[in-house]
Parts: sequence; C-alpha cells; structure tokens
Amino acid sequence: MRLSGPLIWAQTIMLEISDLATSYGKIEALRGVTLSARSGTVTCLLGPNGAGKSTLMLTLAGILKPLRGSVKFEGEELVGCEPAKIVERGMALVPENRLVFPGLTVRENLLAGAYRRRDMAGIRSDIDAMFGRFPRLKERVEQLAGTLSGGEQQMLAVARALMSRPRLLLMDEPSVGLAPLVVAEIFSIIEQLHREGVSLFVVEQNAHMALKVAQHFYLMEQGRVSFSGSPGELADDTVIQRAYLGQQRAEPRLPA
Amino acid sequence: MMPVLQLVMDGLMDGGAYALIGLGLSLTFGQLRRLNLAYGATAMLASYLGAAIYATQRVPVWLVAVTVIAAATLIGWYVEWMCFARSGQEPDHGGASAIGAPIAGADGREVVALASSFAIWMQLEQLAVNLLPRHLNAFPSLAAQQDWLIDSGFGELMVRTDRLLLALLAAALILGLGAWLERSRTGLSWRASADHRVAAHLVGMPVARLQTAAFAAGCALSGLAAFAVLSLDGQVTPMFGMWVLLKGLVAAMLGGLGSVRGVLWGGLLLGVIEAFAQALLGAQGREFATYALLFLILVVPWKPRESLVLSAGLRG
Repeated sequence: MRLSGPLIWAQTIMLEISDLATSYGKIEALRGVTLSARSGTVTCLLGPNGAGKSTLMLTLAGILKPLRGSVKFEGEELVGCEPAKIVERGMALVPENRLVFPGLTVRENLLAGAYRRRDMAGIRSDIDAMFGRFPRLKERVEQLAGTLSGGEQQMLAVARALMSRPRLLLMDEPSVGLAPLVVAEIFSIIEQLHREGVSLFVVEQNAHMALKVAQHFYLMEQGRVSFSGSPGELADDTVIQRAYLGQQRAEPRLPA
Repeated sequence: MMPVLQLVMDGLMDGGAYALIGLGLSLTFGQLRRLNLAYGATAMLASYLGAAIYATQRVPVWLVAVTVIAAATLIGWYVEWMCFARSGQEPDHGGASAIGAPIAGADGREVVALASSFAIWMQLEQLAVNLLPRHLNAFPSLAAQQDWLIDSGFGELMVRTDRLLLALLAAALILGLGAWLERSRTGLSWRASADHRVAAHLVGMPVARLQTAAFAAGCALSGLAAFAVLSLDGQVTPMFGMWVLLKGLVAAMLGGLGSVRGVLWGGLLLGVIEAFAQALLGAQGREFATYALLFLILVVPWKPRESLVLSAGLRG
C-alpha cells in the first residue's frame, strides 16, 4: 500500500510544538522552538551539532522538562507528562546512540519495549513480527545487546521502540556512526515504516539520505528553527546547501 | 577424610548465613551501582530495636522478627532518602553528558553517596548503642541445638539442624529471587533500569519507584538475615553492624556485586575457606581469612577483573 490514506488524514497535524524552551542549568539549549509534524509523513529536522536537536527529542520524550512552551500530540498536551504516559499515548523515541539495554538479551530488550502493554499474546506476536522485519535480530535473540554491532543495536533500538506500537516514531540521528551500507538499510526501514502508516519525526545529519525519505524539513540553529520547507525548497535554499549539504562531505563529524 | 568433610559441612552452614547477609547488599548495589556502607548499621539498629522490645515487652518471637524486618525497611528508606535518592543519575539534573553513559561511573555524586552512607552508618550505630548500652544483649533464641548425626560411611558427620535450616532457607530464597529477576516482568524492569536508566525511562518504566522498591527489598532482606543469624546466637553485640557489612561485602564481591545467585556461591565459598582457616590457624585465622580474601579479590589482577568483583548489572 502506497500512501493510500485520504488526503485530509495526511494533512492532520499530529505533533504540534510551540515556543518550547529547555535548558541545562544555565545553558539554554532550546530557545522557543515551534514546529509541527503531520500524520502519515516523514518529517526531518536538520541542524549542526549543538543546535539542540537531541535536547528537543529528549524533551518530547519527557526525559527533560521544558521551562516553557507546549507539546501537543494528537491534540493532547504532553508537557508535564511522565515518559511512561507519553509512550502510552503512542509516541516512542529511538534515542541518539541507540541506548539499548546492554546487559539484557535481544529478546529482553524487546520485552522491555513493550513494558507498558499488558496483552501478552499481542506482545509475543509483535516480537515475531520484529524478527520478520529484522532477521538479523532473530539470529541474535539470546545474545546480550551490548555485544551487537552498531547497526544491529540501531535495529534493536528501532524494534524496541516499535514494541510499544507507536503512531509517531521519533528517531534521533539513526545513521550516526554507521557504515554506509547499514545507513542505507536504516533508511529503507524508515521508508518501509512510512509505507505502513507510521508517522516519523527524524533528526538527521545526513541530509543527502534524509532528502530521499522526508516530505517536510526543518532546520534548527542555536536552539531555534531557522527554516521550514519541502524537500524542493530545501534543495533550492542556497544557505542550507552551503552550510549543511556541502559541508557534510568536506568535514567529517567528530565523535560526540 | 572425615575432618575435611566435617569442615566443608560446617563451612557451608556458615556460608548460607553469609550469603543471606550479602544478598541485600548485592541487590541494592546491582540496582543503584552504589555501595551502601550503612547496610550493616541498618541491620544492627533494627536488631537492637527487636532486642529492646523483646527485653521490655516480652513479645512473642514472631513479633520480634516482624519488628526487625519492618525496622530495617524503614531505616533503609531513611538511608536511601539521605544518601541515595538525591544522588541519583536523573538526567534532568545531570545535563547532556550524563545521558550517554550507560551506567554512571565514579562521579561526584557517587562519592557523596558513599561518604554520606558512612556518616549514616556512624549515626545509626550510635543510636543503637544509646538504646541498649550493654555489650551483650539478649535476642530471642530459636537455636534448636539439636545435632543430626549422619553416618557417611567414613565416620559420623555432625550437623546442627538449625544451621542447616538457615542455609537451606538462604539457598531457597536466593535461587527463588534469582529466578524471579530473570523471568518476571517486574524482575525485567529491575534489571533494565539498573542496566540503563534513561533507556528504562524511554520504554516507560517508573525508574525512581523501581529503585526505591529494590532498595527497600534489600533492606528488608538485611532485617531477615539479621534476625535469622541472631536467633541462632541468642545475643547481639555492638560488633554486629560491622560484622554484617564485612561478611556480606566479601560474600557479595566473591559472587560479583549485583549478581543475586552469585552471592550464594560467594557466601558458601567464604564459609568453607573460613572453616579451614579456623581449623588450621585457630579462631584468629578465621578473621584473617576474611580480610585476606577481601585483599586478594582487590589486589590480584584477575583476568576478568570486572566480572569477578562486579557483576555487569543486576543479575538473577
């Protein structure tokens, strides 16, 4: 099925962030971020290191508490909600650096992802579905997650987030530190999830890959959104080209 | 042949008690990744409260047991509040750097937790001594003093039934708790939140609540262990707190701090080594063996050093 949903459904705003501000002690990482993500689409957030992208993701997931602003998910306010509540509402984060449970097995990681669910039969069939989607995880089912390769850990992190059956999947730099072949695999997973009707909000440094999958782009600089537009507008915008698409090749990123 | 077998048997009996003592320490360390130095003092103050109501109110033994376990849990809650709750690695205070670390290493907050738990140790011990200032205090005795003679074919083997019962209780409790941690949903959430706090938050686990629950369970177990051990001796002295911490720590470290089933093997090993040391070197040799073992664990460059002393996380 290829984007068969009605147009109006595709136009619905799923996530609406307005004037969101978060700080670490005295450092203000987010200075009033306003953006939105529509259901049934892949929204991509670009930006240089230190722009506040990961802070935004952790704030959305309820890990960091914002100073002000609002986050509305399907019309309901999420600011002030515990992370558990946010997962239950249908929004899950695949965090930067994967953050799998290193000392738990692959199966236990998936079970942990379904922690807020009580339907054992559904959980079991979802685990099987994950093994169908990520055959390599099936080969490693009783292996400790800490012993997996970076690409496998990324797949496990995605699978773990999917175990909560999210309607909106947040992904923070899913391709960072991975080999090009694995990056391509991750992006094909993003495309596949999109086709299946999952909405995605992805933070990415790899603008070249992001241009292939996302329908809307935001650019974040120094804690603020400085650009919003379609892939065409992004490619046309010479500032962004010079700053992010060009630089991407010229200067390799230092590890965080 | 016979004396050796008898020594092993005696060692295993004592080892069961050590394992039971180390269990709570290992459990809390696995969950918090912080050493609770007030562990022994918690057990001691709880035991003193039990001894005090036993002496003054003449309450039945089961009520003393309930008092000791409940008091240990309450005192433990106080220790957690004073030393560990505010030193937690909650990311909203830690900033960006704390988020990437799977398990926080030795940072400032860890040192603060260690130092403050030492201060609380002194405080609790002083409280206990003020409550019952005498050196020897009566504790309800459950000691059966019934010896069970086994004819092993090589000669007679003597087993104290009450000690055997304690060792079996310890083994059953530890293996049961270990299996529960490995198999149940709550067990998984304890291990997961010990493994990676931020990730546990992300999948919707109530991390702070799980931490308090694990700490309370560890302290309740220290109360149970204290009651079980003291009821065999029928007395409690001010040395008890130190004894609990030392034996529990060695047992837990031998099995890998944070590993529940490991503490059983660690405790049994400590018991057997002590029994042999006592036979060879006398009563002093027993204490010497404990310290020597602790020294060996820390100093000898074992190949899988980390896995020997520290379990990788909370394990069943």
